Amino acid sequence: MYRQILYVQWCALRLPVVLLGVLAFALPLLTVTYGGGLEGAPPGQVAQWLYAAQQIGQLVPYVAMLAGVLLGIGSWAPDHAGKHVYALSLPVTRARYVWLRFAAGTTLLLVPVTAIGIGALVATVSVRLPSGVHAYPLALTARFLLAAFVCYAIFFTIAISTRRAALAVLGGIGGLLLADAVLWGFGVGATVTPTVFMWLTNWPGPLSILIGRWALFDV
Amino acid sequence: MSRTFAVGLALVACAGGARAQTGRGAARRSHALLAQAQSLWRGIAVRDSVANARTAWERRARRFDAGPLTVLLPDAVGTETGFRITAGAAEYLRDALPARFLAVRVVVALAATGVDSTVRTERLRNRARIPVGVEPRPDTLADGWSVAAAVAWDYRETLDSTWRGWLPPDLGLGWTPKRDGPATVRELMRGDTRVGAGCLEGKVDACRLWLGLDADTEPYKVRYRPRELQALVSGRWFPTHQSAELAQQCAAEARDACLRLTSLGYLPPIPAGPSPRASFVRFVLTRSRPGALPQALQDRAGSVGDRLVRATGVAEDSLVQGWRAWVLTEGGMPEVTANLRDAWPVAVFAGLLVLAAARSGRWR
Repeated sequence: MYRQILYVQWCALRLPVVLLGVLAFALPLLTVTYGGGLEGAPPGQVAQWLYAAQQIGQLVPYVAMLAGVLLGIGSWAPDHAGKHVYALSLPVTRARYVWLRFAAGTTLLLVPVTAIGIGALVATVSVRLPSGVHAYPLALTARFLLAAFVCYAIFFTIAISTRRAALAVLGGIGGLLLADAVLWGFGVGATVTPTVFMWLTNWPGPLSILIGRWALFDV
Repeated sequence: MSRTFAVGLALVACAGGARAQTGRGAARRSHALLAQAQSLWRGIAVRDSVANARTAWERRARRFDAGPLTVLLPDAVGTETGFRITAGAAEYLRDALPARFLAVRVVVALAATGVDSTVRTERLRNRARIPVGVEPRPDTLADGWSVAAAVAWDYRETLDSTWRGWLPPDLGLGWTPKRDGPATVRELMRGDTRVGAGCLEGKVDACRLWLGLDADTEPYKVRYRPRELQALVSGRWFPTHQSAELAQQCAAEARDACLRLTSLGYLPPIPAGPSPRASFVRFVLTRSRPGALPQALQDRAGSVGDRLVRATGVAEDSLVQGWRAWVLTEGGMPEVTANLRDAWPVAVFAGLLVLAAARSGRWR
């Protein structure tokens, strides 16, 4: 059953998956377009190169988010288009069907993850780093996997959620903003939205993986 | 503007008066105009004096305390902001300066008025004043850093020449890993000196030389190579004819000229800039027992490194190694990581989401 679901999902999502794979492969290689021979490089060049590499590294979480959004929403696209008739015709429970869809989407997520891993390894092999500077191809790939996975899970759930759940989420966000406005109106210094954002993006917040350090080459 | 208008009106009235000598009615009119101008003038003067009195009242010095730190700020900053500034400054200075130094000083905002009377009534007459040039607006005072920096500057002046030559102007108390860490790391990576490059590679001796921790008898010789001194000279401005001439000779690869130039004191004897040295101060402050830094700053024997070793009880090489690791990883730039610590929140959150998705959905 898993293989059939995976095949169906691949047919629906092959174009974004391939494009994401190409993008993820190219991103680490961009880092080394500035040159690779840094051993004994003149003063200042290493720092500039490292700065450029780190700036490019900042794009990686965005690609991870893009992968998560596209695959998360795309996982349910055929079902939405077919009014869920295909799912209802299958001899499986809904819960099992959701898990199968989730597993199939996660499998497809491995394509851009593998691509960024290969790209990072190729980029690492092609440079001669000065002492003190290290390459982190595996750490970057693992971070990309975790970031893409959490985004995928969020959008996968949003895409299949009921209208009531979607309204509850939107209502929650609106409530936070309203609470901030009311607090501001009463002259209270406390803020709710930034606090929630901090909670989400600081460890052990689930989105903390998106905020940390993203660089293929670092000290 | 109104004052100018009134003066102009008076002049017109006078001129009108001169012209109107020909008729009685005209003279009366000019008198009336003059009286009106004088009345306007008086009104403006009263309004100005009221405004001045109000400004003086708003700017009158008010005392704020946080621990041993006492600050006189203009009343206009308000109670809450005043206490926030003072507490923020005290937090910056905590464990860095001896309490007895703060107990005999009072920080006075230059914008505050009536300082003498406040000092008298608050019994602060015996304290030396530290001026701080801040406007009575809360945003310029930020989090108390202006006050803390003024105190740090004042304290630095009381230290001996070894510390004054080594410490950054604000003692490095404002250095924060998040904000200043990258700049420190970039300076270390610049690799414009052999000792800097060696420090980046992890050589402790090179780090000591780069930071200027030891009392080297010939600092320029051991910390710089001749080529590095030449690079240091080029593009630098020298104020005297002699130094400019020596700089030219030095740039033209005359080694003796470079060494003579260093004796004039126009080149920095420490390769590391203020930011790395500030990071070292912050590292010592963060990692050693409370009171260690003030003890080191009060010590007047030996090199900077010797004093820090005596105060912290940690070997100099260990201190330097610890600082390097702190700046390059945790303090300044955390490593790129993806471990179990990063993974479990993601796994738990994703699992909960899928469970929620499996429980209810659009076609249930």
